[in-house]
Amino acid sequence: MADSEPTFRSLATSFTDFLTVAIHTILYERSVYPQTSFLSARKYNFAVRQSRHPKVCEWINDAVAAVESELFKGAVDRVAVVIYSKNNKPLERYVFEVSRFPKVPASDVDVPLERLDADGQQGSVLPLVDMEEQFRATMNQLAGCSSMLPPIPVGCAFTVAVELKEDGEAPTAHPQPWMPVQPRAPNDGASGNGVVTKPVRAVAAGSVLFETWIEQVNSDDGDG
Amino acid sequence: MAQDYTEYLAVNVLNEKQIVSYRLLSRALKVHVNLAKQMLYEFHRKQNAKTPSSVHATYLLTGIRRVLPDPPQSNGNGAAPSQETDGDDTIMQSSPVLPSSSIPQPSTESTPEPALIRSILLVKQEHLDQAKATFDTISSTHIYSLEPHALTDVQVLTECNRKVAADYASEDPLEAWKQYGTIQNPNVKRRKRGTAPPPPAPVAKTAETKVKPAAPTTKPSEPQKPSSKTPSAKPTPEPESKKPTSKPPATKRQNSDIFKSFAKSTSKPKQKNDSQSSASASPAPAPTEDEPMADFSEDEADDDDAAMLEAEKASDSAPTGKSKKERAAELAAMMDQEDEEMEDAAPTPTTGAEEAEEEPSNAIDKPVPPPQEEEPKETVIVENGRRRGRRRITIKKTVKDEEGYLVTKEEPAWESFSEDEPPPKKARLPSSNANAGGGGKTAAKKGGKPGQGNIMSFFGKK
Repeated sequence: MADSEPTFRSLATSFTDFLTVAIHTILYERSVYPQTSFLSARKYNFAVRQSRHPKVCEWINDAVAAVESELFKGAVDRVAVVIYSKNNKPLERYVFEVSRFPKVPASDVDVPLERLDADGQQGSVLPLVDMEEQFRATMNQLAGCSSMLPPIPVGCAFTVAVELKEDGEAPTAHPQPWMPVQPRAPNDGASGNGVVTKPVRAVAAGSVLFETWIEQVNSDDGDG
Repeated sequence: MAQDYTEYLAVNVLNEKQIVSYRLLSRALKVHVNLAKQMLYEFHRKQNAKTPSSVHATYLLTGIRRVLPDPPQSNGNGAAPSQETDGDDTIMQSSPVLPSSSIPQPSTESTPEPALIRSILLVKQEHLDQAKATFDTISSTHIYSLEPHALTDVQVLTECNRKVAADYASEDPLEAWKQYGTIQNPNVKRRKRGTAPPPPAPVAKTAETKVKPAAPTTKPSEPQKPSSKTPSAKPTPEPESKKPTSKPPATKRQNSDIFKSFAKSTSKPKQKNDSQSSASASPAPAPTEDEPMADFSEDEADDDDAAMLEAEKASDSAPTGKSKKERAAELAAMMDQEDEEMEDAAPTPTTGAEEAEEEPSNAIDKPVPPPQEEEPKETVIVENGRRRGRRRITIKKTVKDEEGYLVTKEEPAWESFSEDEPPPKKARLPSSNANAGGGGKTAAKKGGKPGQGNIMSFFGKK
């Protein structure tokens, strides 16, 4: 994934690869699509599930590619995989916070990066083995966490959302891969929606720094 | 020691939310596996008495089941998994007890005969009674693993075995088996190497995988047959190029061959093999990769997966093991290099293996290792993580000789270089890019993204 001169591009690519696998895993674990439509594969020396449906794969690839282009602009705060119920109410969010990625201007995406650790020593930007191990642990946690969550009703949909940093520019170029949505209101007691957050894992491997957690939106609307 | 296991399990299962299998427990606490199984049972019982459903158990049932064979399915191991899976149970392996009934009857029969099949079943605790009912006779029941919550995907159990292989690779299985209770083949003995003995870690891995595939009798015949083919296949480079089929067998002897050559550099080749295994896993045709993967992971969730892991690692370097020996000798003679050359040649046989698949001609195989080194023998100044200096490299020229074979000649040349650490990894990629010939191009593309595994080959080019 990274050659000897890791660039921001390779950093972003390794994250987006991980994101792809994570999305497939979430879809499998939460049975958004029938579990039989997934085949077993290996990633990071770990058994993972991958959807067999070509359209699903295509959609996920496109979504992740769009996330990647946003990452290159350095505008992304969080990436979220949201599961909606039939009534378009978000049930769960799997959030990956990537705000701690190095801020690299768009023109320097291919410039080799160097990293200075806290003690001034030159650290590795993209330590492959370490990263693989942490990704593996995250996948493990993701796979396990979803069994702790209550099962979601049949017929749910999912999507990928990005939350941009405040100074980021919204991607409004044509063709437009992203749809702007209302920023979700923080817990306002009036709507009666609480959010239960379950941390999954924080990955810190070289310059790959991100955190993962699961948010459950408790909706009292009785539509399950 | 009695208190240790409660503490260990409490920390790992409850706090860290890890899955602990009996094998992992036995290695961690250095106890016999049967004792580990009892520990798992005790812990499960006590914890669920305190707080119900705090710990979930997966059981392993062994016995003879009566199943209806499915006519249209062609089965590689006695019973089509899709038919055998009831709910979330997975059949580990099944070897037919009665050969006549294992052959699927043609669908002209109105009622197919139920077959008696010796089965090993992984069962979630919820399905235990139901699974027991399907058995004719049960020879053993024990807890396979404990986890904090029910497993949705039984394949995550493979992670336990990977941990066992990774964390406890330094133990010599020929001694450890008495302590752990691994099933041992009394005829097994370690080979003596004429040259420097291989480092203990890879040998332990080799021997471990030697033991593991030999272990339970109910292992499917598949790994057994290829493993007996291995010694005969060893001398000839051609069969080795069939990586997917030779993957399980390639573990044993090949491993020693490779690591003998890497005698001086121990950790690097292993680490490289780790990253290489995924790199070279991608060159193997993706569908065939997925199939053996799917088959294996469905049917043998634990032991064979560890064997597969080792096999993958080893076999990727294995096919060029023999050629590597000759090349290494040539290399040493030609270049008079130090162990860095060996290291460098380590990743290259893997790309050489990819080459060997595309072009069976040994002529290509030959020059691949030598030209790969750009390792400096001459001046090297390492400063701030950058290597600078002048060094001698070999430039390859590929010509077509009269038989139509592409022959690559190498010529030494000098260059000054300045590069970042670590050089060996860089050598791998440029070397795969520098390879001439059609095989080189595909190898470059495939080798260019190590760690992809099979999942990315499903997608298009990114």
